[in-house]
Amino acid sequence: MSIVIIKDRKNYFKILNYQREVIFTTSIKLEDISMVYGVNGKSHTALSNVNLDIKNGEFISLIGPSGCGKSTIIDLISGIKVPTKGRIFIGDEPVIKPGPECGIVFQDYSLFPWMTAYENIFFAVEHANKSLSKEEVKKTAHTYLDLVGLCKFKDAYPGTLSGGMKQRVSIARMFAMHPKVFLMDEPFGALDSLNRIFMQDLLLHMWSEGESRNTVLFVTHDVDEALLLSDRIGIMSSTPGKIEEIIDIPFSRPRCRKSLSGTEDYIKLKQYLFSVLYCEMQEIIESQQAQKEAL
Amino acid sequence: MKFKLNKTGILTFVILIAVFILTVAVPDAPSQSVDDNSAFLAVLILILAAFIIEIYRKPKETERITDIFLILSVVIFLWEVLIGKLILLDPFLFPGPARVFAVFQDDYELIINGLFSSLTFLVGGYLLALALAIPAGLYIGWRKRLFNVAYPISKAISPIPPTAYLPYSIVLLPTFSAASTFLIFIGAFWPILVGTIFGVFGIDKRLINTARTLGLSERVMMKDILLPAALPSIFSGAMIALIISFITLTVAEMIAATSGLGWYIIYNHQFANYDMVVAGIIVVGAVVMVITYFFDRIQAYCLRWQNI
Repeated sequence: MSIVIIKDRKNYFKILNYQREVIFTTSIKLEDISMVYGVNGKSHTALSNVNLDIKNGEFISLIGPSGCGKSTIIDLISGIKVPTKGRIFIGDEPVIKPGPECGIVFQDYSLFPWMTAYENIFFAVEHANKSLSKEEVKKTAHTYLDLVGLCKFKDAYPGTLSGGMKQRVSIARMFAMHPKVFLMDEPFGALDSLNRIFMQDLLLHMWSEGESRNTVLFVTHDVDEALLLSDRIGIMSSTPGKIEEIIDIPFSRPRCRKSLSGTEDYIKLKQYLFSVLYCEMQEIIESQQAQKEAL
Repeated sequence: MKFKLNKTGILTFVILIAVFILTVAVPDAPSQSVDDNSAFLAVLILILAAFIIEIYRKPKETERITDIFLILSVVIFLWEVLIGKLILLDPFLFPGPARVFAVFQDDYELIINGLFSSLTFLVGGYLLALALAIPAGLYIGWRKRLFNVAYPISKAISPIPPTAYLPYSIVLLPTFSAASTFLIFIGAFWPILVGTIFGVFGIDKRLINTARTLGLSERVMMKDILLPAALPSIFSGAMIALIISFITLTVAEMIAATSGLGWYIIYNHQFANYDMVVAGIIVVGAVVMVITYFFDRIQAYCLRWQNI
């Protein structure tokens, strides 16, 4: 599989001369968000008093231990879930229900298995941008499928595609929909490391191509991934989930993995992120042990 | 052209040809004999031809095909030898193959008419059930509140055998055709409904969430997301429904009809024409086989995105 991907990669850099069309992008604002779930009569606080301002065109990553409510934030912004307290704005519009202003890529299960790769993109573009004519939708779907180097697989069902290819289709769909904001929930979490690197480069290129950039909220638990991609990184802690700290990533763009990963700043930031996450993991383990002893 | 036969294949051939020779050369026992046994010979030739064609068409599946045909030919061989020639069982109750297949020759008009009348009810009732149960199931599965009400109700009503409604449907509905179409509809409706409801209920929430972020209208959501996602479960419900509707139809015809395959079997039973009863059973079996074959083909096409 890796051989195919390397071939595609050459192709891909050729294609990238393509200029993306007008981008509609906007900011995201979370005001004092709390989220409480009722589980078997007990209430579980997934998020407590989360405030987050994502500027227009900014790439923000959320990083933290599992169960800290990272994915819940994505669900709340997209309108899939409704917060117990607080308000969310995409641009100036409050989020009331799910809609095509958010383009989402999940770790898995983003694509409809009964539609081919092309049909998946076509369907999403058709329903997200109702003003487009059928011809325009077709053209858009082809363009983006081409952009991720999957023209040959246009009639393949997701069940026959590899994990990396599926995510490429998901990403192509997200870009093709022209949403106002991108929400990505551990999109590369299930991929092997080689595919992961390729996908990160692909995303970075597609995102930074063109005149303006889309606003992205990217959830991950991979420190290197967050450092490579983001303008800012939000570190989250769990029980209850909240954003502990937001750090700026000062690296200039366009970024290059090779030259970046050796620099002193990079190593310092990475060490810092690891130490924070490690402390949190310790706390979680200790609190779990305390709970066990209490029982 | 290569025509290769393994040992089972040769054995099958030998048995089929042996039956053929037995039928032509050795006279049947008097109680099993018929004036004209050409119908049985035609069936034997048909089986042989089907065997050869199948092996030519699917050379990779030779083993499976020869195994099936071997069993078929052994059954016919035993039937012919033990019952047709040696009369090991009461010849009145257990007719030999020559007598049974002669029925097709003599009675084909009645059988074909019966087949058509049965199929008309079956197709009518079944399609009506599909047309109503699938949309209803999609909607019920989608609306949590509706599901909470509809689920216990359907759980209570669905196990009632559709033939239990026979007295009322005959009394209330004007014709037998309306009554039996209604019974088949009732019999097929519940399994399809339950299959559809569970299909929708079992859809991965993440898929639904992805669909919701596309801002779909409810109609599009039903048609393009819920329906295809629930399709595997709908098909398993529809298969059960098909079998139930066939059983219902045969029983209804046995009780109340004046035509159809069920009627044909029970009518000849009353006159003790057991060769015709067996012929009727064979026709029912063949019809079910053909219908399920096409059902499987449709299912494989509609679910081609699964397990590829």
